[in-house]
Formats: sequence, C-alpha cells, structure tokens
Amino acid sequence: MSQTQTQDKAPWWKRKDVKETATLWVILSVLIGGLAGEVIARSMGAPASETMENTIRMMKIFTWVSAPVAGLVGAIALKSLMQKRHYGDTPPAESDHEIANSPKASAVWIVTSGLLCLFALVFGMIVMQEDAKSLQAPNAIHVNVTGQQWLWNFDYPDNAGVRSHDLYLPVDRPVIFNVSAKDVKHSFWIVQMGVKVDANPGYITQTAVTPNKIGVFDVRCAELCGLLHAYMQSQVHVVSQADYDAWIKSQGGRA
Amino acid sequence: MNRRIVGAFATVVLGAGLIAGIGTYVSAAKADTTILDATPAGTLETPQGTLKHFTMDLSIYPDSFFKTSSPHPDWVSYGPSTNFRVPAHSAITFTMKQYDSGEPITNDFFARVAGTMNGTINIDGKDVTKVDANTIGHTFTVRGLSNGKSNLFINVPMPMVPEDKMSENEGEYINPTIVKFTIITGDAGEYVWNCEFPCGDGTLARFGGPMSSQGFMSGHFIVTDN
Amino acid sequence: MTTTMDRTASAGHSAKSPLIEKLNVFTAFGLGIILAVVFYVLAAKLIPEDTDAMLIHTKHDQIILLAMIGWFIGFMVGIGALIGPFRWLLGKDLSHDENMFYAGKDLGTKRYFRYTTDHKVVGIQYLVTTMIIFGVGGILAMLIRTNLGNPEGGWIHPQAYNAIVGIHGIIMIVGTIIMITGPFGNFVMPIMIGARDMAFPRLNALSFWLIVAAIPPILSSFFLGGIMTGWTAYEPLASESPAGMDGYIMFICIFAISTMVAGANITATVVRMRARGMTWNRTPIFIYGVVASVALALPAFPVFFLSQIMSAFDRAMGTTFYNPAGGGSGWLYENLFWLMGHPEVYVILLPAIGALMEMAPVFTRRPLFSFNVAVMGIAGICGLSALVWAHHMYMSGWAPLLNGPFMLTTELISIPTGMLFLVLVGTLWRGRLWLTVPMASIYALLWNFMIGGITGIYLSDVPADGALHGTMFVTAHFHYTLMGAGLTGAVASLSYWFPKMTGRMLDRRLSWVSFWMVQIGFNVAFIGMFLVGLAGQPRRVESYNAMFNRGNMVTTAGAYVIMTGMLILLFAVVDSWRNGIKASDNPWFAKTLEWSVPTPVPLENFATLPVVTTDAYGYGKAKS
Repeated sequence: MSQTQTQDKAPWWKRKDVKETATLWVILSVLIGGLAGEVIARSMGAPASETMENTIRMMKIFTWVSAPVAGLVGAIALKSLMQKRHYGDTPPAESDHEIANSPKASAVWIVTSGLLCLFALVFGMIVMQEDAKSLQAPNAIHVNVTGQQWLWNFDYPDNAGVRSHDLYLPVDRPVIFNVSAKDVKHSFWIVQMGVKVDANPGYITQTAVTPNKIGVFDVRCAELCGLLHAYMQSQVHVVSQADYDAWIKSQGGRA
Repeated sequence: MNRRIVGAFATVVLGAGLIAGIGTYVSAAKADTTILDATPAGTLETPQGTLKHFTMDLSIYPDSFFKTSSPHPDWVSYGPSTNFRVPAHSAITFTMKQYDSGEPITNDFFARVAGTMNGTINIDGKDVTKVDANTIGHTFTVRGLSNGKSNLFINVPMPMVPEDKMSENEGEYINPTIVKFTIITGDAGEYVWNCEFPCGDGTLARFGGPMSSQGFMSGHFIVTDN
Repeated sequence: MTTTMDRTASAGHSAKSPLIEKLNVFTAFGLGIILAVVFYVLAAKLIPEDTDAMLIHTKHDQIILLAMIGWFIGFMVGIGALIGPFRWLLGKDLSHDENMFYAGKDLGTKRYFRYTTDHKVVGIQYLVTTMIIFGVGGILAMLIRTNLGNPEGGWIHPQAYNAIVGIHGIIMIVGTIIMITGPFGNFVMPIMIGARDMAFPRLNALSFWLIVAAIPPILSSFFLGGIMTGWTAYEPLASESPAGMDGYIMFICIFAISTMVAGANITATVVRMRARGMTWNRTPIFIYGVVASVALALPAFPVFFLSQIMSAFDRAMGTTFYNPAGGGSGWLYENLFWLMGHPEVYVILLPAIGALMEMAPVFTRRPLFSFNVAVMGIAGICGLSALVWAHHMYMSGWAPLLNGPFMLTTELISIPTGMLFLVLVGTLWRGRLWLTVPMASIYALLWNFMIGGITGIYLSDVPADGALHGTMFVTAHFHYTLMGAGLTGAVASLSYWFPKMTGRMLDRRLSWVSFWMVQIGFNVAFIGMFLVGLAGQPRRVESYNAMFNRGNMVTTAGAYVIMTGMLILLFAVVDSWRNGIKASDNPWFAKTLEWSVPTPVPLENFATLPVVTTDAYGYGKAKS
C-alpha cells in the first residue's frame, strides 16, 4: 500500500509500469505493423494492375495505422499478465487499484478511434475514385463477360464474332467488363488485378481495370454457384497490343 | 486422475472414429462410382506426331431407365458411366450416341467446337466446327482448374434428334445422332465435365435436377499417367 | 389459510388433466412423424401432377414442405405447446397445481424431457441442445477440412460437399446464436436480476422446443438432395436447388419464430422484473449484452423469416420474387438476407463479450473499468449494426453509388467496438489476475477479436474488398469473430457458471488442456486460411489450385487439433457433471446475485426477493 502511494505521487507518465507498458507498446506496434504488412504483401503476390497495387499499398497502410491500437491493447494485456498472477481455488486479495472510471482515458480512446476511422474512410474513398477512372477512359475496350454454370465466356463487341473461353487483353489499355449471367449469380474476379463484380442473371453490371503487366493470370468465380463452382475458372492472357491484334485477327475479327 | 485421462482419450478416439465413419459413408455414397476406362486401339497419326490411340463409346439418353437403380428414372443421363479415365499424352477418339431431342441453346457459345483435334467433330459422317444453335441436344464440355498444369477446355456440341425421329424398340432407343471426335490429352490431372445445354426441365434456368446432381449430366474426367 | 388449502385441493382434484402428464418429447416425436407421413401421403395423392407447360415444377416441393409442416404441427401438439392456449379458449386457465407441474416440481430428470417452464430447466435443455448442434456442425467441419486436405478434393462428391458446407454454416450460425442467450441467458440471467422466473415461462419453453422441432428438417435435407447454396441460400441458386432447400427454409422459419419469442420474453423480463433497487446503472453488464443481442434479433429475424417464405413461394408456388425470368431479382434476396445477416453477427458477439466483461472484474478483483463506456459501446454497436448490411454487397453490382455510405457506417462500428476493448484492457490494468480458464479466455478474446476486427477493417474498405470478397480471407475473418471471440466467450461462460448450473466444478486440468488445444489449433487453422485467402482461394470450393495446397494442409492440421480439444472439453463436461468436485454456492467469490442463492437453485430461486443497493463490481472498494 505504501509503495502504491509513493508511486501515485509521481506524475502518471513517470511511473515504472507505465513506462514499461509504453516500451512494450512501441515494440509490439512495430512488430505487428511490419510483420502483418509483410505477410499481406507476400501472400497477395505480384499485382497485375494499378488497382491491385493500390489495394496492397492501402492494406499495408491500414495495417500500420491499426498496429498501434493492437499494440496498445497487447502491451496493457501483457503488462497486466506479467505482474500479480494468482493461481488456486480461492481468489487473490482484492486489487488495490480501484479506479472504476476514467473519462479522460475514455475520451482520448474514442476520439482517436474516430480519427482513425475518418482516415480509413477518406483514404478508401480516394482509392475508390482512382480505381473508377478506368471506367471513364475514352480509349477503353469493351469485353462482355457471360457466366453460365460452370464456365465463363467472353465476347469482344469491338470485333463482332470474336469469342473465347480464356480472356485475352492488351497491356496498358483500360478494359470495361460488362458482366452478366445466364442462370444464377456468379462473381467475375480477376485475381491478380483485384477487380470483382457479381454476374447477375437479367442485369448487366460493370467493372473496369487497366492491366499493366504481360503474363497469364486467373479468372475465378467468387460466388458459390452450385455443383462445379470450384471449377469455374479461366485464364487471362495479357499480351502486347500487337499480339492482341494478331489474336483478334486469328479469331476472325478486324484488327 | 487416471480415469480422467483414459476417459478423455477414449472420447477423442470415439469422436474421431465417428467422424471417420461418417466421412467414409459420405465418401462412398456417390450415385455413380463406376469409372469407364478408354479402350486401347493401336496408334494414331496426329498433328502432334504418332500417339497411342484409345477409344471411348458413350451414349446420352433422354431418361435413365437403363440404370439398374436410379432415384430419378425420368432424368436425362449420360451412359454407361459418368466418370471417365483416359491416359495422358494420347489420342482418344470418342463416339457419342445422342438419343435425345433438343431446342435452342441459351448460350450459343457452346454451339461451337473447341479443344478437339483439328478443331472439328464428325457428325453422322460430316466434319463440322459448329452446330446450329437452334437444334442442340446436349454438349460435352470438359474443363479443369486454371493452373498451368490442368487448364483444359473441350466443348463438343451434339445436335438433337428431331422429335418425330425419336423412336424406341423394345425399350431401347434407336436412331441416335452419332458424333465422333478425337482429343489429345496433356498432363495427368483431375478434370470435370458437364453438359452446357440446360436440360433440367422443370427447374430454374433448367440447370437443376440432372444438371446439378451427381451421376447424370456431369462427372469426373481423369487423365492418368499409366 | 383453510380457504387456500381448500382451493388448491379442489383445483388439483378437478382440473389437473391426465393429458398434461402424458405428453413429453417422445409423444412429440411420435406425433410429428405420424403427421409428417400423413401429410406426405395426402399431398402426394391430392396435388395435381406438374405439366410440361410449367417452367418450374412445384409438386415435389409442395409435398416436402407440407410433410414438414405436418411434422411441425405434430411435434408442437405432441410436446404440449398448445395446451395453454387451448385452455384459454375453453375459458379454464391452468390451475396452480398444473402450473407447478409445468414448472417441473418434483419431476426429477423427467422434467428435462417435457414442456417445462422453469427457466433453469430450459437453460439446461438449451445447453445440451447447443452442444449437440456444435457436435453436428463440428463433424461437418471436419469432413470439409478432410476433403480440402488435398487440392483435387474428390473424397466427397461436389454435390455432397456443397450440402455439407451449407449445413455446417447454417447450423453453426444457429448454434452460436443460442450458445449464450440460450443456456446462460435462461439459467443465469433471471437469477442475476433477482427474478423468480422469466416474464413468460410458457413462451420460454416454447422458444426451446421450437428449436428442437427445427432441427430434423435441416438434417433431413441431406437426404433430399442437399442444398447447394452455402448458408446464405442466395437466390436464384436456392430455387434451382433440390428439395433439400425446403428443409433449410423450414428450419429457418421455425428458428426465426423461436428467436422472436425468446427475444420478446428476455427483453420483457429484463425491463420489468429486475429486483428492487437494480437501476440500469446497477444492472450487470452481461444483462446488457444479452438484451442488446435479443433486441437486435427482434427486428432482424422477421426479415429472415419473410425472405424464406418468399423463397418457399418461388419454389413451391411458381412465384418469381427472385427469379429474373419472371421479373424478380436476386438483389432483393441479398438485401433481405443481410438485413438479418449483419445484425445477426452482433447477436452472436454481444452476449459473448458481455459475459467476458462480466467475468473480468471477478478474476481481476477490481471494478469493471468504465461501465458507462461499456454500455455505450454495446448500444453503439446495436444502433450501427442495423445500417451496415450492404457491405456484404459491395461487389454485387446492386448499387455501386451506395458503397461509399455503407463504407462509412461499417467503419464507424469500429468506434463502439474499440470501446469494448478499452473496457476489457482497462479492467485488466493493474488488476490481480486470478488465472482460470475464464481469465485466459479474456486474453483469447482480446487476441482473436483483435485479429477479427482488423481484418474486418480491410474488408470494410471497398477497393480491398475487390480483392478479398468471396475468398477464404472472409471465411477466416468471420471465424475469428464468431468462433475466436464468440465461442471462446461461450466456453468461458460454461466453465464460469458450470458450478451454479450443475453443483460441481468443471475439471480444471482438462479444461486447461482443451483451452490451449482449441486456441492454438484455431489460430493455426485460420491464419493458414487467411494466407490462402489473400493469395486468392475462393470460398466454398471443393477443389482448388495446387498453389494453395500448403495453406490448406496447415488449416486442416489445425482443425484436427481443434477437434481433439473440443472432444476433451466434451468429456470434461460430461464427467464433471457426474463426478466433479462439489462446488460451493459461490466458488468464484463473485458479487452478482446468482451466486447468492443456494446450489442447486431452488424452484423460483429466491425465498425472499433481494433488494439491490449497489452495483456488482465493488471489488477493492469494500476495504478502503
């Protein structure tokens, strides 16, 4: 009891346990932010569009922003665990710390979480706007996407009659997808480009993206659509403009 | 103390055993467990050189009375099995006897031939690359997962038998449309196939019933190394 | 005195009908099965055959639905749910003797198999039922994980796999909805507020037996072709599904009624029946958690009920609410579903967090930190959770312009959620930690719910959802919240209130072993799932690209560890219930009212109703 009183005389930020908690907080925040951000970036793989690059960057930033919150909770919880543990069938003595309320701490906590929220919202809105740019691009090519149980097929309305099972796209050119379905709901998703929109029977939905890397990527169905949903996959071949024109020609379209 | 350890251990063993039992039961409870193997038939000259040649004969019936026990005898079905096993890196010639009627297909993408040798199929003696989208009976459409190893796409549309030509002889259908085609298999892998012509009458989008149940209009397509 | 004696004697003599004594769970199942068969046969005979002109064949669904309605009516009549209303119609309400019989007086173990109104009996019934539901859901989970142990799947046929995934989902959702409000909300809550029983004891029994009536239909769907929609039953896929879907629809309809009945009952009990002196700021925080949960369920579940009735119409009457070929829209279903579906996750979470906040002061021996902030947090979550449903539909294409506003409301929810974290860590801060399973569960909640919450922030963000929606990431995220936070709270509640409910302590060593196995297995399993989700594995797939193999192996291994831990817990519960160490009336030295009554708790709980003069968190204060 006397020890507590001497501690209480010092300003709260100079107390030993507070200092230790603060140190823990910093360590944990850095650990969490660094580790989780790295895991996210590595798991999501190499992005194939600016949309996906933005998404990965944003998730990393969100991780860094929430790391101090997680770190603080972790630091307090760990610090409490490190002192005054008690085992057994009877309870420990009543705690000498009996503060049941702290309007100041609560206010700081709530205002901070409000600010973090606001940041996440504004940041998300900005990225959303950026991603939507492809949808307005004047030089965009159109692809009509049709989902049917359990396959995708693609029409290229700029070149009537050209159709394919695997998707072919030129690099660095915005593409607008007009997505629909024949039977039930599917979800058109290009994994490495981070775009997705449901294919609804009876409606056309739109999404757009600008692929910025040549290679082969994956289309998967992201909405359970029945028996062979797992197999409702296609490949996306992103090729140079010249190769794309050649492919269109080989399929009977005007280049 | 000992009793508790034994009890806890016994509970774990019993629980795991229960799960294994149920799992084995569910795993075995497949409506169609038979697998049809391709028949060897010498070698075949293909654009990819001389390959081992195999054949496989399949039928498509407007009902499944041919099965000894079917929960839905009135459902359309492939026969004699819905699971096929073919060797890797070989040429497989399919002969399909299509006995069913048909109508316009909802998605005419599947009226086009894809993935066969030379891009053609042979219908009653004529080589074609697509079938009139208004007179489709069924399709045979194979695909795998989209990784480099098992990306595969085969689509074979099969014309309908006109209603007035559909006839039976002592419970057997006669007068099929005969569709022949050859495919060249790649690496081994597990693929699936299904019919892309909506033929589940009386269900939404006509894709329920036989289209969405095991053992009728879909199944496994297994490519093996041996 | 003599008049009273006369009245009871005469009432007992004249009005206690023998029928009441005969009805129990066996007559209920018997009559239910008989009526189901009768309805099935009659419907098959009388309903006209489908014609080729009909786009959707309906006869089979009509027969199945009618048979299930027959089961439902038969079960409810057989259990005796209609005796009360029937007697009102006759103008002769139940006598005192009959009411005491209904409350299970002097019936011993038989009362657990009857339409018993005593809230403690209902609590135990709920507890056992919840454990059975988790058992079924757990078996299905293990089948899923075993099938996903190799990328080609195929151990289970895709049709059976889809049914298993869907029924695992919905049955676990129902299990988690009732896992705290059912057992502890019924057994503990009335004692905790100083009441003799619930406000409407017969409704209490009704809400329980409705759940029992609902389970056979969902299990029957395995034998009717299964469901191929997952737990969400999205339309129009649900209309395309085989007759197993009718089992789902019936299950949800009956369960929704049960939830509404229980919600009205619990709300009325808490609002009207708190002990004298128990003002709102002296009401334990667990009560807030429970009431907030059922209050959220009250508007949510009628919507779910409605959405399923419309599904049933589409399937069995040929209407086109959701069928685009007839002018309907799947978006309508999505909206109705998530109007229920989002509040529902908080229906599950709030009682779990409430229970752990209730235990925090007991096991730190200090007052709950910021009771007011805790209440504000719960209220804030309640209010906001009704306004966030369309974040499940960012990618549905329904209304892209609304994505911004829904992103706002969704992210706002992190503020009240953060308040609950503050309360918990504030209570831990400089407390004396009494390390028991409930205490460790508070730590597990902080860890799991932190991960669940932060991953929720990614998902709430529209561009990130473009990459993550419909992937295993989402699956891992909601398992972290519902299982990592919710189920952890329920297991902690079980070990905390076990002594009061059974008179014995839950075996300490076994529950510790189970705790560590479940928590470690859980984190291994679902962190693996986060990774494959980030890498792009879709949800609910029976077979997957070989690149996800490693992550799935990790998840499957973790799942087996969870299974082992859960089975050990099951043994601990059964064994301790029978032979555990006898518990004192207040083994945790806690200050809420349920620990002030003797164990086993007598019928009607309190000899004299208590008067409350302070809140229940006066630890530490008492000395100074």
